Amino acid sequence: MYKRDINIRTINLGRNSEKQKIIMFLKDHDLLFEEDIDYTIGVYQEDSLIGTGSLSGNVLKCIAVNGEFQGEGIFNKIISQLINTQYQRGNMHLFVFTGPENKKFFEDTGFREISSVDDKVSLLENDPKGIEKYVENLKRSKKEGAIISSIVMNCNPFTLGHQYLIEKAAKSSDIVHIFLVWEDRSLFPNDIRLKLLREGTSHLDNVIIHKGENYIISNSTFPSYFLKEENTVVKTHATLDIKLFVEYICPVLGINKRFVGREPNDPVTNEYNKAIMKLLPIYNIQVEEIPRLTVGEGVISATKVRKSIKEGNMESLKQLVPMTTYKYIVSDDAKPVIDKIRKDM
Amino acid sequence: MELKKIGIAGTVESSDISIIIEPTDKGGIEISLQSAVMKQFGRQIKEVIEETMKSKGVKNATVRAVDKGAVDFVIKSRTLTALYRSADIDEYKWGE
Repeated sequence: MYKRDINIRTINLGRNSEKQKIIMFLKDHDLLFEEDIDYTIGVYQEDSLIGTGSLSGNVLKCIAVNGEFQGEGIFNKIISQLINTQYQRGNMHLFVFTGPENKKFFEDTGFREISSVDDKVSLLENDPKGIEKYVENLKRSKKEGAIISSIVMNCNPFTLGHQYLIEKAAKSSDIVHIFLVWEDRSLFPNDIRLKLLREGTSHLDNVIIHKGENYIISNSTFPSYFLKEENTVVKTHATLDIKLFVEYICPVLGINKRFVGREPNDPVTNEYNKAIMKLLPIYNIQVEEIPRLTVGEGVISATKVRKSIKEGNMESLKQLVPMTTYKYIVSDDAKPVIDKIRKDM
Repeated sequence: MELKKIGIAGTVESSDISIIIEPTDKGGIEISLQSAVMKQFGRQIKEVIEETMKSKGVKNATVRAVDKGAVDFVIKSRTLTALYRSADIDEYKWGE
């Protein structure tokens, strides 16, 4: 078996026949080809597929090598190719989700474990100080107090429901740290979600807003959140996300409480909330679930806001969002986003 | 040479080295190295990287290197390439 017989090709994911071969290969290695994958390579010896690897945003995933070829450097070849593609795309900070039995292989290529859940999943990053840098940055906004609360939200977009939850938290806490989900996969872009959150909370002087970046409900810590998978994977990922939160983030800010909004509709968020309520008290972090704010006969949700936008129902929209969000939605700046919502949903 | 962004070169394949250079304001060249031959050659690998950087007038940087048994001139050329990429220079003067 000579290495010169081996070549690597980018898989055209638009071509079903090529994609199917990868899916079958992964299946033979007990892996699922995930729907959020945006780049895949295949390693071939002559015409037979002997290895594969994929990317989704800044995450490396679905990596497998045929058992017969293990120990021949194929794995490192795949990793090198994936890393180089990431750098060409401008992604320097990379993550891997893997089973703990494979952790060592990634560690050998420069990744470092930042958290793990039992024997199920291990999260690694390629920056030896990645999470420390994030935490170091957070530390600067540390404020003292008896009750230091936290909320994690996506705000797609910011509604009266979000405002209500934050106001409730702000009233019963000395400080409230809000972490905005930073993964750019929502219909409203990151900077707009942040702007509307800021404007909608500007009347509260004990609220501090942070970007969740890679470490809070991101594609790297919680991929199934975005894949909307309804299975045990969600539970594992939720646990990992919460572990990062209590191990790295809570200590630097002195967080001892977390607020969550009750989730009546979305099963993934509901599963996440359940995990929070179960796990955080173990680490002495109190959890308070706040029922959703209602208007008329239903609860207020960002989903409803997007629906009203899509239907062009401005009267209903006014009842769901604060003036700050409303002003943005009817502004010229919002046009591209609104068009996308009308087309997408 | 002024470093502007993160620069990377090399691979994690056998006999190669992966070098990532990041500009910093802090003084000095800080190198974190991972190598299977750390005990035998760790110091020498770091020296080659540092010397190469100094020869280009770089004083402050964070370097992450994952070595897979690269020899000195491979280490040197990977470091140079990472430096050029970090400095956003695409006119190489390899002959110098």
